[in-house]
Amino acid sequence: MGGNTGSRFSDDVVIEASGLKRTFGEVVAVEGIDLAVTRGEVFGFLGPNGAGKSTTVRMLTTLLRPTGGTARIDGHDVQKSASAVRRIIGVALQDASIDPLMTGTELMRLQAVLHGISRSESRNRGSELLARVGLAGAAGRRVATYSGGMRRRLDLALSLVHEPSILFLDEPSAGLDPTSRVALWEEVRRLNSELGTTVFLTTQYLEEADELAGRIAIIDHGRLVREGSPADLKSTVGSPTLRVDVDPVFLESARHVLIGFGPERPAREGRCAIGLDGGAGRVAEVVRALDDAGVTVSHLELDLPSLDDVFADATGRRLEGAEK
Amino acid sequence: MTCLPTQPAAASRGPKSESTTVNAGAATGLRLAGVQTLALTRRSVVSEWRQLGNVIPGIVFPLLLAAVYTHQFTRVILLPGFPVVDSFLDFVLPASLVQSVSFGATEAGTELARDIENGFFDRLRASPCMRLPLLLGRLGGAVVVATAKGVLIIAIFLLFGTKIAGGLAAAVVLVAAAVLLVIAIGGLGQVLAILTGSQEAVNATFPLVFTSIFMSSAFFPTNLMSGWFREVAEANPVTWIIDPVRRLILEGWSWSDVGQALAVPLVISVVTVAMAVIALNRKLSSS
Repeated sequence: MGGNTGSRFSDDVVIEASGLKRTFGEVVAVEGIDLAVTRGEVFGFLGPNGAGKSTTVRMLTTLLRPTGGTARIDGHDVQKSASAVRRIIGVALQDASIDPLMTGTELMRLQAVLHGISRSESRNRGSELLARVGLAGAAGRRVATYSGGMRRRLDLALSLVHEPSILFLDEPSAGLDPTSRVALWEEVRRLNSELGTTVFLTTQYLEEADELAGRIAIIDHGRLVREGSPADLKSTVGSPTLRVDVDPVFLESARHVLIGFGPERPAREGRCAIGLDGGAGRVAEVVRALDDAGVTVSHLELDLPSLDDVFADATGRRLEGAEK
Repeated sequence: MTCLPTQPAAASRGPKSESTTVNAGAATGLRLAGVQTLALTRRSVVSEWRQLGNVIPGIVFPLLLAAVYTHQFTRVILLPGFPVVDSFLDFVLPASLVQSVSFGATEAGTELARDIENGFFDRLRASPCMRLPLLLGRLGGAVVVATAKGVLIIAIFLLFGTKIAGGLAAAVVLVAAAVLLVIAIGGLGQVLAILTGSQEAVNATFPLVFTSIFMSSAFFPTNLMSGWFREVAEANPVTWIIDPVRRLILEGWSWSDVGQALAVPLVISVVTVAMAVIALNRKLSSS
């Protein structure tokens, strides 16, 4: 699934943007973005606040007119065939846009009717979805009494009422506590793996992008700065850091062995560190070489590059709101 | 990184999704618009019901005013030129009715502004909901509430001895005229909601609506007014609605009065709702 970028113009590309641009007066919010998301993918759109994530989602979901470029959802142009696009997408926007005076059940029915689903079917589907997101008990309560996490889950259920094949989630877990966040991730994974739903999610949380997305695009100041699977992106940052603790008497011989596997990196006293060329797969080789040299290792750790390193490498800054 | 398996069940979901699309496709545009309008109307009625506190002053205040005026104006009705009535209560019924429905007439606008402010409008827009039902659904709620208020106000007046010379049919025209007036004011509120996206901006029009009732023939016949006030009252569309409605109550059924009572608010409604549609189309095509 991840890294399937070769099929940009194949039939399997369901979200496609070419030179997508949006300006607000003088301000350029999104500057010529190219995207290709294939069917069944979970695509993460990662960037700090104000990077242009929501603006891009609003253009892809027909809510905002692009000032340049084109976007197609499952072959339908977002401007020329907006209503066709709206029928096949599910949208859960940032700032859970839910009427607080209505109950969960009422909102589910309303959303279903707007999608042309019959009343009897909407009743079944509504209660089924509410149960799935764990809101069966709160279905008859007004949304005003829901917690932030419950609103997010209702938001997700609402966006699924017409069984969309493509789901847009704008900052799905913003403001959620860790437990609710993990529950939401589980549901997104389930939708993707069981129903094959293509998911386009924006996030400013590195962990979320890392956990959920098969492929990630990093956006900063309205431009895409990196794109690829999390593993590929991390590997572009450089080799992981291998740290080895040894008895001081072995330090020199350990260093001698280790520099054969990559450039030496700064380390505290009594420890030897290198950038391990070839990545984690070579750890066993290193251990064997140390053993052959008669070095006794007391501790060994390998730090993989994080998405934050990727972001820093691409932009020169650390990502705001980074949790990891 | 979790590597997610891809769509094993995607194919099995096909038929269900297809039936949904067929349902939507089979319904004609008009039918779908009707269904969507009804669903959104139901929603706005439910919202109104759950904010009943907002509706009650619009019933109590006009009734209170009618009671006070009826008590105070026992001799006013004897003035030469004043319509022949048994009690001021008979005279003031159209005023109370219009006043009652004008409370909350801007609701269709403020509620729309609320939807825009809290982002619910975007949720509706991202669904296949057509544009007209977005507006009509909110007006629908106001219409249902205005009808209920109209029936209630008339019932209370009848209870206190008012007689409607034009009969039941005239009472229906009364409610219909009041409802059309609500659509007219609501349409204007929606224009403001779309242009500003702010509940406060829409609410700010209420004093204007309220004042325009006092500056009409609602509580006093224009033929007994004088000076600029009379000119303003005679040029006020509220007077054009209240006068024929009042004749239906006091004098009896007349097709020309029915025509005027309904045509005036109808024309204004068509204009303001059309303005709201244009404003919405402009906003959506420029955003």
